[in-house]
Amino acid sequence: MGVVKRKYVLPGDLIVEGNYQIISNAYRIGNKIYSMKVGMAEITNGKVKVIPLRGPYTPRVDDLVLGIIVDYAPLAWTVDINSYFEAFLPAQNVFGKNFNPEVHDLTRKFKIGDLIAAKIVSFERGKDPMLTVSGPGLGKLTRGELVRISPVKVPRLIGKKGSMSKMIEKATGCELIIGQNGLVFVRGPPEGIIKAIKAIKFVEEQAHTSGLTQNIQNFLKGGG
Amino acid sequence: MISQRGYFIENLRKEQMLQLLAKGKRLDDRGLLDYRPLKIEVGVIEKAEGSAKVSLGDTQVIAGVKVEVDRPFPDTPDKGLLIVNAEVLPLASAYSEPGPPDEDAIELARVVDRGVRESGMIELEKLVIEPGRYVYAVFVDVNVLNIDGNLFDATSYAVVAALATTKYRKYELTENGELKATDKFEKLPITTIPISITAFRIGDVILLDPNADEETLVEARLTFTFDGRGNLCAAQMGGSKGFSKDQVLKIIEIAKLKAEEIGGLLRRQVGYG
Amino acid sequence: MGKLIDEEGRRVDGRKFNELRPIRIEVGVLKNADGSAYIEHGGNKIVVAIYGPKETHPKFMALPDRAILRCRYHMAPYSTEERKPPQPSRREIELSKVIREALEPAIKLEEFPRTAIDVYIEVLQSDGGSRGAGITAASVALADAGIPMKDLVVGCAAGKVDGQIVLDLNDLEDKEGEADLPVAIMPNIGQITLLQMDGLLTIDEFKKALDLAIEGCKKIHQIQREALYRKYFGTSEAESK
Repeated sequence: MGVVKRKYVLPGDLIVEGNYQIISNAYRIGNKIYSMKVGMAEITNGKVKVIPLRGPYTPRVDDLVLGIIVDYAPLAWTVDINSYFEAFLPAQNVFGKNFNPEVHDLTRKFKIGDLIAAKIVSFERGKDPMLTVSGPGLGKLTRGELVRISPVKVPRLIGKKGSMSKMIEKATGCELIIGQNGLVFVRGPPEGIIKAIKAIKFVEEQAHTSGLTQNIQNFLKGGG
Repeated sequence: MISQRGYFIENLRKEQMLQLLAKGKRLDDRGLLDYRPLKIEVGVIEKAEGSAKVSLGDTQVIAGVKVEVDRPFPDTPDKGLLIVNAEVLPLASAYSEPGPPDEDAIELARVVDRGVRESGMIELEKLVIEPGRYVYAVFVDVNVLNIDGNLFDATSYAVVAALATTKYRKYELTENGELKATDKFEKLPITTIPISITAFRIGDVILLDPNADEETLVEARLTFTFDGRGNLCAAQMGGSKGFSKDQVLKIIEIAKLKAEEIGGLLRRQVGYG
Repeated sequence: MGKLIDEEGRRVDGRKFNELRPIRIEVGVLKNADGSAYIEHGGNKIVVAIYGPKETHPKFMALPDRAILRCRYHMAPYSTEERKPPQPSRREIELSKVIREALEPAIKLEEFPRTAIDVYIEVLQSDGGSRGAGITAASVALADAGIPMKDLVVGCAAGKVDGQIVLDLNDLEDKEGEADLPVAIMPNIGQITLLQMDGLLTIDEFKKALDLAIEGCKKIHQIQREALYRKYFGTSEAESK
């Protein structure tokens, strides 16, 4: 099931003709399949997709995201998750079933401006995405550095089965928490953090080039 | 971070910036009194009589000058007109809305206007065709294209650079007193190049040229404009927390030195002096 | 022969009847915008910013099944021979609408229900054909924002000057010529998404002008492509093949 063909495409470019299944970012007129994005088209056996080079983050259930508390109401926090909808985190998810808005003070848990790691519980048509912070590694993030990359570059930063992020973690002695929404948290020794941030930016810039793994290896060896 | 709620930074970054500032450092490695790279291009809009585009880091501002013949104000029949208008375009950030200038944009325009006017940069007396009847009206429209902090200084440099390079068509009166366009173009009667420097206070720290992240921490702002001859010609304080008198006096010294540096650059760019 | 085309068929700026003015497009010129582009087309200098998709304010404007597209075409006061007051004129409001309708068919609005996509077109200097140049730049900026599109959209005018059908009218030709026919197309799909005309043309002249405008659009489409290739693939289209 290797890649049969790769090519650069712009919106409206004909990718291929024939009976292919469209995976993402392409559309069909009759027998012809066209790109909807600036990106790299990949034609594998019977399937077509376009890996975009720009674009917003679309929430998906079970995604790990990083977000910033931007507001709170009696029953929930509002969280900016770098998408076209703000997400909400129900107070009950944090204080438990016995949550009582008259007893529990939301600001004692998360303040406006706090960075959190969360998972998306639901995102349906007509409803804003709902988050949870219950689970290992979720909740407020402190003592580290936040880096922002384009959400479409996140898969490259993670790499196959986490290979890319593991390589950066190993070379820098840092821990990376990578939100699918393009927010990346880096925790570790100060020199390691500087190097890790440079490596993350390097991956973002070179994401669509071939030989990325080798290049980042050289980059990390060269001291960043 | 730019959210639709306005400019917003996470607490982590805020703490980090405050810790650095306490040590006299900044996130982007600048010293407290260093400006970001300042680029001034003039003559960018050929249809305008004068124009300039200024980039200060990622803040981008463009100013255009149109000169027209108009009637003078009744109380100044022997002076030309100078009108400065500023707009932050909806292109400039996620929270800039289309519509007429809000109070911030109007303050911006008025502070820049005051610096130009009070410095006597333009000899408005020389912009008269017939006193009480025909004078030249100099319209400066300045647009913010991208916001990343320190709009007052960037806007002021764009306006001054555009005016200093303006060439306008001369009009004259015929024998029977009618207005007639000539083929002659002249530079505006420029006497000096005013320079505006804005200082910002975060806690006890005074810094210059903050970016938008740093501006979210700013408690007070103070703009001084120098007339190019060593005098102060305009000042404007902003923000809700004020300065001590000592801080104000210290800022004058800082601003005076910085105005010489920026003034040199600006004068070279516009070919003045 | 009239005063706008000489005996050798050269126009006031030296062009032949089917020649475009110089065009230059840059992608990603504004840091804050989700997508942006700058175009110089003849004397036009236009910057475009895209913000969105984003939550719709006011909320009642939101649609349950798709995004709304909003468009503002605006001319800077110093963009014209005579200063233009900053508040939008009736012309700018009309152009905002027709430009929005020219872009809309290309955008997959149904991918982002309840959201809004804002297109801000600022004319820093105007010449003939500013709506076409605005559309050309706006579609590049939309692609730069990563908004899903069926095609790019390209705008260009043709018209009649001194009795001849010519491509891409400049300011003087627009004002003194007999007719102006701005057109926008989706070049790969072959759909016309904007068509306006003022002046007088015979039906045959109209057909000829329409063909010429479409031909011009296709040439400009190549310039759009090169700008996006340079920005995103670091190469020209020919070299990448």
